[in-house]
Amino acid sequence: MKRFTTLVTALLMGFGLWSTQAFALNGYAKQKVVYHVNYDNPKKQAGALRNIQNHINAVGAENLDLKVVMHGHGLSLLLEPEALVRVPKFKKANATEKMTAKIDNLKGQGVDFSVCANTVRGRKVNVDTDLYNVEKGDIVPSGVAELAHLQSQGYVYIKP
Amino acid sequence: MRRNDDLELNAYVDGELTAEEQAEILTAMQRNPELAKEACELNNLKNQLKLAYENPPGISSSSATPNKTPWYAIAASLVMLAMGLAGGFWMGTPANHSDRFVMLDADGRGQAPSTIDSPETRIVFHLTSDPEDVAAEELLDDIEDMLSSYKKDGNPLRVEIVSHGKGLSFMRERLSHHKARIHELATTYKNLTFVACKNTIDRLQVEQGVEIKIVPEAEVIDSGVSHVVKRQKEGWSYIRV
Repeated sequence: MKRFTTLVTALLMGFGLWSTQAFALNGYAKQKVVYHVNYDNPKKQAGALRNIQNHINAVGAENLDLKVVMHGHGLSLLLEPEALVRVPKFKKANATEKMTAKIDNLKGQGVDFSVCANTVRGRKVNVDTDLYNVEKGDIVPSGVAELAHLQSQGYVYIKP
Repeated sequence: MRRNDDLELNAYVDGELTAEEQAEILTAMQRNPELAKEACELNNLKNQLKLAYENPPGISSSSATPNKTPWYAIAASLVMLAMGLAGGFWMGTPANHSDRFVMLDADGRGQAPSTIDSPETRIVFHLTSDPEDVAAEELLDDIEDMLSSYKKDGNPLRVEIVSHGKGLSFMRERLSHHKARIHELATTYKNLTFVACKNTIDRLQVEQGVEIKIVPEAEVIDSGVSHVVKRQKEGWSYIRV
């Protein structure tokens, strides 16, 4: 029985691999992409979110495994404006209503937003009160290590 | 720029001019930073082309010129290479770094093609912004965290920081705020290398009229751009800061 289960699992995994190779109707193969944000300019950040939306529009959410990794100044994307006084190491807090609406919209299309634990610790950020909608699972030990790891797993690196 | 100058600049970059013509171009570049920048870009392009076509199909260098190296010399060099590779592999991090010798890939490991299941993690940081704008100190903290945790767990790691354009000030003897840190990290971790772009150095020397000195821990390479391209082709992860 155990052997049978192993066989079925192997077949399923094989199928999974095969299906990730398949091309979608729009001509794009499945893509794994990581976007890197380490700057706090709100215009640049909004631009990055727009890039991501355009990326999804072109390739299709079902063909995309897309992650955003934030560290350093980049965490300002999720920093609530009223929290800025509590975290003096940040110069900007860009999680305005307009920005968070865009973030929610992207999350709804399967985009993951990962937060660097080193930045959280080093800049004394309270994840529950200072950041917009960050869950435990969104926190990665190190932003740079995550970027390197994802690339070694076949993710394409984009820095808008 | 006039067409004629354009041709001459190309010839200059390709090293096809006479000494007098070269001197003429050099003086012109000193007067005109734009021209220097253009030569720099041409040189960059040339390097990248060279890189993309390292091994052009069909023509092998040995068939063009008869190979006169005796077989025992080749055998000896292969043995040396193998010993070097094995030595580098087993040596890990030597205890004494006082005579740190700045040589990229001294052990040749950085150039081995990497695959998804390669045991070694390799990351090249392309530093192109003003270091103070991108919180370079925090970045160094992150890098140090990685270096020390990989070392503790016995996992192989290579990290390289390539400074280029505005990022060069990170490694400039007179401007860097991070000299002590660079020294400390470079002496502690042999698997961390620092690289400065010569194109940027040359351009700044012409533009600012001063000699640009780079910290001794850094190796100077011709072109930062082609270096990061090369690293990615070798399978390194790339992070731009």
